[in-house]
Amino acid sequence: MTAGARRAGAQLDLPAILGPIRPRARWRETKLLAVVAATILVGSVSLELTRHVADPGEATGLHPANPLHLAIYLGLLGVAHLVLILSGRRMDQILLPTVAMLGGISLLLMERLPQKLVVQSFGPWRLGLGDVQLAWLVLSFVLATALAVTVRSDRWLRLYKYTWAAAGVVLLLATFVLGDEVNGQRLSLTLGPISGQPSELLKVILVVFLAGYLSEFRPLLVEESTKVGPISLPPLPFVVPMVAMWAIALGIVVIQRDLGAALLFFTVFLSLLYVATGRPGYVAVGVVLFVAGAFVMYQLFDTVRVRVDIWFDPFRTPSTTGYQIIQSLYAFARGGLVGTGLGAGLPTVNGNLPIPEVHTDFPLAALGEELGLVGVMAILGLFLVVVERGLRIAASAADDFRAILAAGLSLVIGTQAFIIAAGNLKLIPLTGITLPFISYGGSSLLVNGIIVGLLLALSDRGVEPPPPPRRPGRLARLAGRGRSLAVGS
Amino acid sequence: MDPFLLTVWIVRLLFLGLLYLFLFRIARALVGDLRAAAREPGAELGRLVVVTSPAGEPAEGASLALDAIATIGRDVNNAVVVEDQFASAEHAILTFRGRAWYIEDLGSTNGTFVNGSPVEDVVPLGFGDVIQVGQVRLRLERPRVAASRR
Repeated sequence: MTAGARRAGAQLDLPAILGPIRPRARWRETKLLAVVAATILVGSVSLELTRHVADPGEATGLHPANPLHLAIYLGLLGVAHLVLILSGRRMDQILLPTVAMLGGISLLLMERLPQKLVVQSFGPWRLGLGDVQLAWLVLSFVLATALAVTVRSDRWLRLYKYTWAAAGVVLLLATFVLGDEVNGQRLSLTLGPISGQPSELLKVILVVFLAGYLSEFRPLLVEESTKVGPISLPPLPFVVPMVAMWAIALGIVVIQRDLGAALLFFTVFLSLLYVATGRPGYVAVGVVLFVAGAFVMYQLFDTVRVRVDIWFDPFRTPSTTGYQIIQSLYAFARGGLVGTGLGAGLPTVNGNLPIPEVHTDFPLAALGEELGLVGVMAILGLFLVVVERGLRIAASAADDFRAILAAGLSLVIGTQAFIIAAGNLKLIPLTGITLPFISYGGSSLLVNGIIVGLLLALSDRGVEPPPPPRRPGRLARLAGRGRSLAVGS
Repeated sequence: MDPFLLTVWIVRLLFLGLLYLFLFRIARALVGDLRAAAREPGAELGRLVVVTSPAGEPAEGASLALDAIATIGRDVNNAVVVEDQFASAEHAILTFRGRAWYIEDLGSTNGTFVNGSPVEDVVPLGFGDVIQVGQVRLRLERPRVAASRR
């Protein structure tokens, strides 16, 4: 009996989740998760010891800083691991431990920062920064595991690419019309009890749409049938969406004043265009467009000009606009090679934190101070591993859609980490986006959970085979028409 | 030095050490993965998908697995046989060198075209490129992955 016939038979039966469970061992993941658990445990003990150095009133505390948090987090990892084993699917075994390590570092950092940065009350409970972050981490991992186990087909992503794109545009417009304005930026949207940052979700939608679009029209995009002077372009109808993409990125800057998201979207778009076509020329054109757009934006908008001026010379306005980035640089400098140790950094200025948005925009500065250059290199290395896994999943994907989707999802995480890390280090102008898996923030953690879940599902080597290529649409036939054969002598 | 402070620093450095142990174990796993992929027996290097074929040989839509060296032409001794009046007996040769595909015209009468431009000397190919031999158009595609990997 072929695999297809068996699957067809299975669909008539009970839902797969009630069927016989055939576990498959994941020893590599088990071992790596053991190292993660040990690392987070030691980090937590280190945090507690540092507190005793600051306040040596009690006996030495060779125990975790917050045993309950630690137990919940490690238990969560154990459950996620167990669920993946029980699902019996052949999924990537390195992604989950890497993300678990990043999440663990995030938990340590949020426990270490002043808990009053975020306070939410639920009935009798008052949850501080660490508690809330732990809750979001739990939800994020639950979401990732659930997606990894349940997504067995990519039809719902593949077939409805324009629907997804439309949903994304609606989300963007809704944010513009209904969004809450904070510091001149309209980033968050509140619908009833739910409040979130749509641009986080938008990045996944963008990747899904681009994967669908680029994989369908890739053969046509590679052709060079339109000549503009010395530059060869693909057939004109296919240039339009790319220009539209560029316009949307600029629109996000103009309307939302959200430089980070615009930079992220455009970078991911160019990367995927290169992944799909392998033509450096397109990327060059995109970069030229970007530079031109950035120059115009600089001339027209104060927000952009302020950001770029701070980047050139933050010390010109040390107590106003340049304040955050200067404090960030001081923090990295104080950290030195191995850092001051978890919990020992962040001296306060007049009783306030030196960096106001340390838990969302500057977690890397705090980690740079407390773990030093060595620690920051390790964290950047972890992001590199996530990207490597994504590209590896892409390289062994069964077809173009899955390849571009996997590459795009991992590049979103890698690019976002780069943009904010480089911003904190004054390598590029600072833009307010989150450091994936580490920054405090529900939307960010949940969306990153979705990304990890999809990547895990895509890495499975036993999923439904991709559907056969569809007949080219009307546009594709139009573009192919009129290309007659030159019959030689 | 105060033994307590010493303990604190040992624990702090142990944390950083464990971070790097984790990265080291991942690096080892990744290298192992890459080696296993390279050793994989019978891994094909690419495929040719027939886009248009007026004479029907090879059939349109057919997908042909490629070895590292594949000749294209009308002669039956070629790896890819194209039955087309505008193709030469030995028309072109596809070679996989290092990590990329290259195509070379073997002095055919009507020439070989990649994405519509004629091939002179040796031209590197990317997946998705369309090769034209006579009236037959073939698209180079990424290899199918062996499903038997762990």
